[in-house]
Amino acid sequence: MTPDLDLVPFVPELVLVAAAIVGLLYEALARGPRYPVHLAVALAGIVVASGATLALWRYGGDPTVLAGAIATDRLAVLARLTVLGAAFCGLLLGTHAIERDPAAARGEFFPLLLFATTGMTLIVAAADLIVVFLALEVLSLSLYVLTGLPGRRAASEASLKYFLLGAFSSAFFLYGVAMVYGATGTTRIPEIANALVGRTGEQGLALLAAALLLIGLGFKVSAAPFHMWTPDVYQGAPTSVTAFMSAATKVAAFAALIRVFDVGLQALRWDWTPLVAALAAVSVVLGSVLAIAQADVKRMLAYSSVAHAGFILTGLTASNADGIGASLFYLIAYSAMTIGSFAVVGVTTTRGEDRTDLDAYRGLYRRDPHLAAAMALFLVSLAGVPPTAGFIAKVGVFGAAIGAGYVWLALLGVLASVAAAYVYLRVIVLMFMVEPEEALVSDPAPLPRIAIAIGAAIVLVLGLFPGLVTDLVRSAAVLRW
Amino acid sequence: MLSEYLPIAILAALALLFAVGSLVASGLLRPHRPTPVKLSAYECGNDPVRLPRGERFSIRFYVVAMLFIIFDIETIFLFPWAVAARELALFGLIEIAVFIALVFVAYVYVWKKGGLDWAGGSLTPIEAEAASEAPGPREEVGIRAG
Repeated sequence: MTPDLDLVPFVPELVLVAAAIVGLLYEALARGPRYPVHLAVALAGIVVASGATLALWRYGGDPTVLAGAIATDRLAVLARLTVLGAAFCGLLLGTHAIERDPAAARGEFFPLLLFATTGMTLIVAAADLIVVFLALEVLSLSLYVLTGLPGRRAASEASLKYFLLGAFSSAFFLYGVAMVYGATGTTRIPEIANALVGRTGEQGLALLAAALLLIGLGFKVSAAPFHMWTPDVYQGAPTSVTAFMSAATKVAAFAALIRVFDVGLQALRWDWTPLVAALAAVSVVLGSVLAIAQADVKRMLAYSSVAHAGFILTGLTASNADGIGASLFYLIAYSAMTIGSFAVVGVTTTRGEDRTDLDAYRGLYRRDPHLAAAMALFLVSLAGVPPTAGFIAKVGVFGAAIGAGYVWLALLGVLASVAAAYVYLRVIVLMFMVEPEEALVSDPAPLPRIAIAIGAAIVLVLGLFPGLVTDLVRSAAVLRW
Repeated sequence: MLSEYLPIAILAALALLFAVGSLVASGLLRPHRPTPVKLSAYECGNDPVRLPRGERFSIRFYVVAMLFIIFDIETIFLFPWAVAARELALFGLIEIAVFIALVFVAYVYVWKKGGLDWAGGSLTPIEAEAASEAPGPREEVGIRAG
């Protein structure tokens, strides 16, 4: 008896795992300098997985395959591609970090990053809550180790904090899955939707499930008030890992959140959208205000990531294709800006991890005009100023929120953006209008500059010609189930 | 539906009430005349002993425990396959072979990295750091809270 298996929508994950296994064996068996081979294997895995993902754009089979475990819609394709792009840039940055500091270098970086990417591409396509949980654990466990990989005190402390709080949030998520099963008798997201539609009367269990799932995923997207781990982990982790996880984890967790809430719990949307709006409001305000008080660039960008999680949640208060599309566009734009800005942080000084305070940016324009220009572009985009991707993305999510009747939330978002602009403009002023005080040298290595160039190109292209992707995003926002 | 859980909730409330009530009542009623013997921890009539006695357990036990879990899980997965092996035929055999191969990769990795040597194996960066600065004062940890 052979079960009827359609593995095609699952090929990206298979490719990534295969590349990771090859990398792991190579790390165990090979001797001598190994990073070129590691990088080649990992890049090949990511490129092939991207190709397999692209081929799924026109997939015409069932909405879910493998006994309802994997969804085949275009949301999964677009989110996967974003995650793979982030992984590509993360690999370049990580390879450079290894070249710069061979003492702290571990070849396990490459397989672990691929395993984390596998978890992320799996979670965006997961159509069963058990698979969502499985993918969440795969990506989280890999990221805990990646965070602590250099073995320095700060990294180990960040890793342990991330692990403890992450395990705590996984428990919330799992409890939510149990409650969903109690309420509907299934863990398959489409069947949950069917079970909840048209049900009247007692909904206590399903509402409790919605709240618990929102807490669990809220931790992962670092929405306030579940953001406590974000600054410490972003600061303690190697900058290359921070760049990768700030972008890719957000995309993965938000795609899972969209599928769980906008498909599975669609029938309860009048109950959960106020919760999402409250999380969005708290995140936007707390993230923007606390970013002002930071003297370390990585912590500042971490609080900014909390605020951006709030903006994306703002878009999701509109539980329809408009809201999903706006949030997806925001995720793509945010990935480019955050990877780019963390890549700049990594090369601002040749000492990398040791200098992340704002003073290192004094007079960066005099030292390295290209780097300063790229950083200015990312910061302006993070602030949401035209003609950058950040502006178009913000317009999209605010428009979706207003369309859903959350005018106050959109207003709050605009006000918080104004407050947060100070954070970003402060760095730009330091870079362009202040003379450098000490003789710092920025890192001239080519690999991180490729990642910076990719990020800058995406930020500019999406800002100037958003029409290039709006059609893709719109068709990805229509969920098949 | 939730009302079916009401007896459990009532039982939990009664248990809590009894425990707290007993402690409060004995605290209010008993005379308070402490002696060092009365205040010491009661341990079956023996003198209380602190465990572990000043020495730490080696972190290597952790690696052993993790390895045990991996192979334990492998065995657990082999049982259901063995029961249904005839029905699953070739497909099942290939699937379980892939699974065992993946676990075997983990085994090779641990072996080559020295995870199976108790005494040997190179120091990890954090162990080297701890060993080098053990006599001197501990440096401040670089992350601020909050």
